[in-house]
Amino acid sequence: MVSPAIALAFLPLLLTLIIRYRFYFVLFYRAFLVRIWKDCVTGLSREERAFQYVLTQATPGDPESILDAFDAWCSKVEFISNIGPKKGKILDRLLVEQSPLTVLELGTHCAYSTIRIARALPLGARLYSVEMDQRNAVIAEKIIRLAGFDDDTVELIVNPSDEVIPRLRSDYGIERLDFVFMDHWKKCYSPDLQLLEDCGLLGKGSMIVADNVLFPGAPKFLRHIRKSGLYEWKIHRATLEYSQGIRDGMAELVYQGIK
Amino acid sequence: MPRDSLIPFDNISNEDELTSPHRGRERSQRGEKRDGVYEKKKKKKVTSRRRERSGVDEGGVQLEHERRDKEKRKRKRNTVQARGEGEENHKEREDERKSRKTAKLGKSLRNENSQKIQKEGEEEGEENQEEETEKKPKRKKKHGHSKKEEAEDEGKYELKEETQEVEKKNTKTVAETGLEQESSEDTEEVHEEDKVDQEDHENQVRPCSLSPEELEKLKEAVEERKKLIQSLRGKPWSMKKKLLTLRESQEFVEKYEGALGKAKGRKLYAYKVIMTKKWMKFQRDFENFKTACIPWEMKIKEIESHFGSSVASYFIFLRWMYGINMILFGLTFGLVMVPEALMGKPYGSIPRKTVPRSEEASAMNFAVLWDCGGYAQYSVLFYGYYNDQRAIGWLKFRMPLSYFLVGVGTVAYSYMVVIRTMARNANESGVGDDNSFNFSWKMFTSWDYLIGNPETADNKFASITTSFKEAILEEQENRKDDNIHLTRFLRVLANFLVLCCLAGSGYLIYFVVRRSQKFALDGLENHTWWERNEVNMVMSLLGMFCPMLFDVISTLENYHPRVALQWQLGRIFALFLGNLYTFIIALMDEINVKREEEKIIKFNITMWESNLYNGTGSENGTTVSPIIIQPADVPRGPCWETMVGQEFVRLIISDTMTTYITLLIGDFIRAVLVRFLNYCWCWDLEAGFPSYSEFDVSGNVLGLIFNQGMIWMGAFYAPCLPALNVLRLHVSMYLQCWAVMCCNVPQERVFKASRSNNFYMAMLLVILFLSTLPAIYTIVTIPPSFDCGPFSGKKRMFDVIQETLESDFPSWFSKVFIYASNPGLVLPFILLMVLAIYYLQSTSKSYKEANVELKKKLQTQNEENKKKNKQAALKAQLDLEEAQKVASQAPKPRYKSEKFCYNSLSVTEKCQQTKT
Repeated sequence: MVSPAIALAFLPLLLTLIIRYRFYFVLFYRAFLVRIWKDCVTGLSREERAFQYVLTQATPGDPESILDAFDAWCSKVEFISNIGPKKGKILDRLLVEQSPLTVLELGTHCAYSTIRIARALPLGARLYSVEMDQRNAVIAEKIIRLAGFDDDTVELIVNPSDEVIPRLRSDYGIERLDFVFMDHWKKCYSPDLQLLEDCGLLGKGSMIVADNVLFPGAPKFLRHIRKSGLYEWKIHRATLEYSQGIRDGMAELVYQGIK
Repeated sequence: MPRDSLIPFDNISNEDELTSPHRGRERSQRGEKRDGVYEKKKKKKVTSRRRERSGVDEGGVQLEHERRDKEKRKRKRNTVQARGEGEENHKEREDERKSRKTAKLGKSLRNENSQKIQKEGEEEGEENQEEETEKKPKRKKKHGHSKKEEAEDEGKYELKEETQEVEKKNTKTVAETGLEQESSEDTEEVHEEDKVDQEDHENQVRPCSLSPEELEKLKEAVEERKKLIQSLRGKPWSMKKKLLTLRESQEFVEKYEGALGKAKGRKLYAYKVIMTKKWMKFQRDFENFKTACIPWEMKIKEIESHFGSSVASYFIFLRWMYGINMILFGLTFGLVMVPEALMGKPYGSIPRKTVPRSEEASAMNFAVLWDCGGYAQYSVLFYGYYNDQRAIGWLKFRMPLSYFLVGVGTVAYSYMVVIRTMARNANESGVGDDNSFNFSWKMFTSWDYLIGNPETADNKFASITTSFKEAILEEQENRKDDNIHLTRFLRVLANFLVLCCLAGSGYLIYFVVRRSQKFALDGLENHTWWERNEVNMVMSLLGMFCPMLFDVISTLENYHPRVALQWQLGRIFALFLGNLYTFIIALMDEINVKREEEKIIKFNITMWESNLYNGTGSENGTTVSPIIIQPADVPRGPCWETMVGQEFVRLIISDTMTTYITLLIGDFIRAVLVRFLNYCWCWDLEAGFPSYSEFDVSGNVLGLIFNQGMIWMGAFYAPCLPALNVLRLHVSMYLQCWAVMCCNVPQERVFKASRSNNFYMAMLLVILFLSTLPAIYTIVTIPPSFDCGPFSGKKRMFDVIQETLESDFPSWFSKVFIYASNPGLVLPFILLMVLAIYYLQSTSKSYKEANVELKKKLQTQNEENKKKNKQAALKAQLDLEEAQKVASQAPKPRYKSEKFCYNSLSVTEKCQQTKT
């Protein structure tokens, strides 16, 4: 039988762990416990709840207000891993600098990032957004239309990314992607990037931006870009969206091609 | 340049035959000059060939003679020039650079070049000329390349190549004449000068192969070069130019230094060169050997390159500690343990050296031995085993005296070493201690040059940039001054939390110690292992976990990591100290209990003895025969000294175990889990949540220091402690080296351990003092046990000295000693010492002030210089602008001709110089 004094000696360790990893505990609470609880109570999915909130709060046709509504919901009510306002600003800057004409987005989810990208695009540019989940896609479609982007600017493709990418050239007539934004399953980052390389969709100067490369993290992806030597890359260090203490990064890659 | 392209065209095939003997001579000369030893073997061959050839073409002898004369004259002239070049080297070059665009200098330059080409044709003055030529770097490369090849290749091949080269050079000499003609067509002035040159040639007397004058000149040139090399650092040139000049001059010196001596001298020179090279190689090897001899040097260097110098400083500290412990171990082992084991009475001869009857059954059990009971307790490892016999063995070794002196000596030695090291460190780090140039310090000194790992370098880079950002922010905040209250509040809060933590841990230990006393009264056998080892466990656990908590709390304070490290160290220090002193207080209580027990037992023993004596006496009547009792059966006292020693040994062992186990679990197991679970986990374990552990410098250093403190405290009562500590340090050196390299990642904020070393030392000194205090207290105030240890039977332990003085020294010595220890003498002495200390301190203070003054002076001087420089620069700029205005106003061709005139003038001047 362990004596109580020895058990008490473990108290500092417990305190340390709690304090050090408090952000993770908070995240766990907000992203899982609250979600499960609300799912049970309301019977709606998280995305539907978000959509309802946006519908009530935002002005239709104004992307800015929709984004604000999303940010408010995600930081105050529940947690959805959108790109968030801070990293979103970096994304905006990159888009303005690059002013791409053909943009591919992997992982639409609630269309938050789609609206952000579409907003910053130059005239005549086209954004292809890929979403795997049918239910999310329906909501995303609604939100995109709510923001006032038509089919010419944003095209939603409902399919897994690894099926879509090989068919981009044949089905959608894309020759070269100027900008790719990745925010889907972190495990798919690396294979999808390799698919893009293999299909020859990336030209010299094409930019790829991948969110959440440090948390939850895409180690294989990072390893790949380090080793392949095809990219000029850097990681914008930031914190996880709607949370302060968890460090995250957004990778910015510029395809250089084989030298 | 047209010259290069011209060379191949002017190859006159007739002259090949004519000059061939001459070429042979050249070759031999060149060979000798280039490299001493190797070429000498070849020389014979070459000369023989020359003879053959000269025999073949006798017809061209006359011509050859003429030519040779010419060549020699030219050579002489060129050596003179070479000397001149040494001086005017950079001036000329700058001139040329200017003139390159204007192009009228072309002729004079060509003239120079042609002269140089002559020289080339003769011997290897190439480097010199190449300085002047435009395609300098390229050609130089080529030349160097060919040289290397030559050096690498075999003799025959080299011969061939050399002949080829010489051919080329000859053609160059021919080309030169052609060029001169061309140039003369271009300008008359230059031509005239050439004529002058030629006249000069003819005026000269015909010298022998290498005249003393020539040698003299060559020597001077070499000297010149040497001077140049020495003064190069101060020259206001660009780095590239400096490097180039340095390389060239070095080559020049290397080449011609050997040529200066004659045949014998050359040999000697070659020998010297070889010897110096060998000597250098030997020195290098010896250096390597020396580093290999320093224990763990390579390991520490590797760690340093991976983790930065702060982590390495821990290992260096560990090594230093190991050295000190080796000496302590040597003292105790050589002067106490070994003599007792060899010369003292063997085990089982007297009661204090025997396991008592009641414990005999379990004396060899592992659990008992692990707790330092049984046979371990009744051995040289502990105080109680030693006998109070004054001299042991045939050496008459004074065991008790030795024991006492070793105890005192180890502590004295430690004091000495620590203070000496501190003083040395203070000397080293006394400079550059001001915060006035925060950004320049950051700018120029923040890189850690010992880093050799890309990841660490990345981290260091990031940390420097962040530190810059933070420093800028700090500056801004200093100016704003609005957020200071929050940080102050947070800092106070953090300290309050830490204090709470300390109080809590102190109370816990106190509680546990009280409980353990209760257990001890009940009898330890009734309680579980957990309860028996509660004190050690709790102490180790608290020592392990509280620093973590402090670390977390210290993030509140937002200090610079170096400052944060010191705070952290201070807090952990307080924690450990509190724990240690609670432990010692508990021990004191226990000592008192034991002494009470001892009194009772002493009484009992006298009763027992008298009973025994009476019993036997009544049986035997008159004769008192020796009573034979097994020493194991004799009742004995509790021997509190051994108990203290045992406690310390147990503490050390449990501490070591906890350290190793934490290392294995916290670092190794964690690293393994993170590494291999990462393949099938939903987030990135390596970059994110658990991650790999970082090396905790402060905790480890303090662990080490407190461990040492415990050794110092307990070593008097358990002579085995230094040995144990050496073992522990040895193992932990390897284990931690391995663990660091295998399971830890470089700290995210890599920082240099610039002056923290002395901080460690200061803490060590404090701990040394604090740990000797209780030891000295027990030695001085508590009388030793009556039946165990080297001082048994004495009133106090230090009575040993008095005893020795009385019996082993002549009576006058003890008298002197008594007089010397008279308070009337001692007190003035102490007063004198205090005065001396005060005097030294005040002088050092005044020095410090003087330093500050000097610094201020230096600063103002710098500022003045800056002002002056600025003014000068402004003036120069104005002048330049004016000159440019003048230039733009003046018509171009006139300007050109002016310059040209100037150049030609300079050339004539040069010629005059050469004449004289």
